[in-house]
Amino acid sequence: MPPIDPNSRPARAPGVRLQLDKVSGEPVLLFPEGVLELNDTAHAILNLCNGATTVNEIVAALAQEYEVEPEVLRADALECLGDLLKQRLIVFQ
Amino acid sequence: MKHRPYALLAELTYQCPLHCPYCSNPAQYPAGQELSTAEWARVFHEAAELGVLHLGLSGGEPLARRDLAELVAAAREAGLYSNLITSSLGLDRKRLIGLREAGLDSIQISFQADEAELGDAIAGTRAHVRKLEAARLVPECGLPLTLNVVLHRGNIDRLAQIIALAESLGAVRLELANTQYYGWGHLNRAQLLPTRAQVEEAGRIAAEAKARLAGKTDVIYVLPDLYEARPKPCMQGWGQRYLTVNPIGNVLPCPNATSIPRLLFDSVREHPLTWIWNDSPAFNAFRGTAWMPLPCRECPQREIDFGGCRCQAALLTGDARATDPVCELAPQRHLVDEILASVNAAAPGAWAPRQNP
Repeated sequence: MPPIDPNSRPARAPGVRLQLDKVSGEPVLLFPEGVLELNDTAHAILNLCNGATTVNEIVAALAQEYEVEPEVLRADALECLGDLLKQRLIVFQ
Repeated sequence: MKHRPYALLAELTYQCPLHCPYCSNPAQYPAGQELSTAEWARVFHEAAELGVLHLGLSGGEPLARRDLAELVAAAREAGLYSNLITSSLGLDRKRLIGLREAGLDSIQISFQADEAELGDAIAGTRAHVRKLEAARLVPECGLPLTLNVVLHRGNIDRLAQIIALAESLGAVRLELANTQYYGWGHLNRAQLLPTRAQVEEAGRIAAEAKARLAGKTDVIYVLPDLYEARPKPCMQGWGQRYLTVNPIGNVLPCPNATSIPRLLFDSVREHPLTWIWNDSPAFNAFRGTAWMPLPCRECPQREIDFGGCRCQAALLTGDARATDPVCELAPQRHLVDEILASVNAAAPGAWAPRQNP
């Protein structure tokens, strides 16, 4: 898979829905025949996968939220986006 | 709460324009009135409160319900992820857009074969060309498309062409499901069960396609369990993750559970879904491991395959508590071996087409 372009704008793929689980209160990602329980980072990233925000902007927003330098979490964020892309849960616009 | 259901299969009606001989609907339909729009809406809300995330809108043919868009809207309001499980007959652009606007999340269309002559012969009606038209609309309208193809003796040799069809339609998911022998499928087993050579070749083709299409189309190959040495982990355990509500409101731990003699099912018309899930006799009949006979009770696999399928045990041995006879350790494995020996030798005759109630 080619590297992720930092200026591209990821969006949740058609039929992929982000919501809170009524039982646990935790965020889950729903898609055809599947459920993914999300950790805080994945949840924050998917919240920003709206087709308008660039990968760079997502990294910057996370850095601000966690009060660290963007470079500290860039690799983790790219890995998370790569995993989501591999499962076709996000698309790049 | 110990158990929490993740998925609800809502069988909205037994009416269907197709006559597929492998249909898993009961061959003898229970009598009663279909649930109303308001009753289904209540069931969806109760299911969501219980923890259900996924809703399958199925049948019969769910498009036969004129209130389908209202039901989808009710599911969305309850917070359920809704998947329409359909033949697609009756799905045009206008209806599809209406369903999408109501909140439908995804669509699964059945195909009987890769081409019209065989597909229509299996469906018992002219369906294939109409399915192609409907399937093309789904990605166009921005919904993810799953193809489901039930495999049997009559179409399993076309597997490579069936996979090519799914690719050409842009399906994100392809379910290649060997027939499960319940309902009409059980009636027609002699005509439908493929030979071992067919099954092995299909397994090779499916595995190759799964690897080749990774990242593009998820290929799911459901094994023909009669040819396995160990049973399937049916429903991930009885009353553990799934529930089905049939058209007249009875709640079943599995869609085929009415094939178990003397097991009584409670209705959403008489009880809250929470009580039925947690406390009803049917949902507790085979929960956990205490009900198990030997060898299951002491088997290291007992929490992995749960003793296999209760419906299959009932249909083949007459005793729903028996070890699934698919298991090589089952005292009655010979029943499965006899089926395989006879089917491999016999030339298939005519099957009984599925009928509506």
